[in-house]
Amino acid sequence: MARPHIEPFCDRDEGFKSLQLPGFASGMRYKMLSLDVDSGACSMTVQLDAGYQRSPGFAWSELEMIVIEGELQVGERTCRKGHYFFVPAGYALPAMSSAQGCLVLMMYNTGEPSHVESTQHHPQAQVDLYHSVDSYMDLPWAMGNVTKPSVAAGCLIKLLNYNPISHAMTFLYCMTPGYYQDNISYHDCAEESYHLWGTSWMMQFGEVPTGGYFWRPAYINHGSFASEYGCIALGRTDSKLFNHFHYNPWSTPVENADRSAARLYKRDPLLYKWAFSKDHNHPHGPEDFEDTMLRRGEESGHDNEHKSDGRRHDHWHGHLHHEPGSPHTHADGTTHSHD
Amino acid sequence: MSFKNLFIKHDLSPEVRAWLDKEIAEQEERFAKLEKTMEDLAPTREQWYQEFFDRITTIGFNVDGDDKMKISPADLPVKPAGRVDRVVWKHGVDSE
Repeated sequence: MARPHIEPFCDRDEGFKSLQLPGFASGMRYKMLSLDVDSGACSMTVQLDAGYQRSPGFAWSELEMIVIEGELQVGERTCRKGHYFFVPAGYALPAMSSAQGCLVLMMYNTGEPSHVESTQHHPQAQVDLYHSVDSYMDLPWAMGNVTKPSVAAGCLIKLLNYNPISHAMTFLYCMTPGYYQDNISYHDCAEESYHLWGTSWMMQFGEVPTGGYFWRPAYINHGSFASEYGCIALGRTDSKLFNHFHYNPWSTPVENADRSAARLYKRDPLLYKWAFSKDHNHPHGPEDFEDTMLRRGEESGHDNEHKSDGRRHDHWHGHLHHEPGSPHTHADGTTHSHD
Repeated sequence: MSFKNLFIKHDLSPEVRAWLDKEIAEQEERFAKLEKTMEDLAPTREQWYQEFFDRITTIGFNVDGDDKMKISPADLPVKPAGRVDRVVWKHGVDSE
């Protein structure tokens, strides 16, 4: 059942708990924001106490982090508030420490929190996906109209991570003082937000203050929207964000989902007919031939079985194939050749 | 929930399993508390809905960005008979 609807929640109302899982050093305390009951994936506000030190290592899950307050030392780099990390599963981060302590938002996307001590990346780690940025200092604000129809002017974003397959996004967003938007919205995707600073208001849930949080499954009404003094937050979606605006506060998630399907029917009638009227509505969705077609890589005996999601699929992220006998180096540092 | 479909299979230790079970139980309690708080907010929300209707019929409904359209009072929705005002849906479309 994945994560339940958690909204509105404010972590300031909760106390920290000590995280005592294998591999994590002492001095790490957390507040659970939301948890996927099937996979253990979760989002947590984490307090690293002054003097905290953690060995180099990786997580079995993909991880995103943003520093909320204080300074976090990651290897040689000193990261201050607003510093964002996207860390693929199996990617070995250098040692982490905090001399004076810091507050960090940690989001384990695909599994429970874990830390395996290692200075080497796991062989299955998609190391090229790692990136980090000081999102406060090194990225400009952009208009929030990343999708049409759009949010009102005064809602700005900084894109931090984007999945080219699912169109899932992680982004900072802000509302300028005096912001308001008079419509009710829902999406075809789940949405998550953590208020780093400031207060916003939604007609269904009231005020979301600093430390305010929500995890909202798809098709749930939210809005209208306002922020009297402005706010800045971290937002995420798990697939493509589309704003279905309307003004019926009593519609249910099923009615909203039906409306989305009706809009698909109106916009892409041939696609709708193909997907829904020809027994293509298989539980796993219509087949995307690019995911399943036989590829030349298999014929050469090369292992194209990337196990990132537990299923066999192909080289969507791309890498070079090599001539027989030519040595090449993999991301984990091993060098070999194929005869 | 997967943002990059990136996961490396591994075994869960009994210690981690116990931690997850405890967190899941606590999340159930948090959810029940949130749901109750939102149910209690219903009378206030009813007023907010009316204010929203007032604004979109006089100032306008945000159609796209700052483009607004005034909604005719005749086009405002009617609350379905017997429907309870509900804003928290534990599992979205699977809640009903």
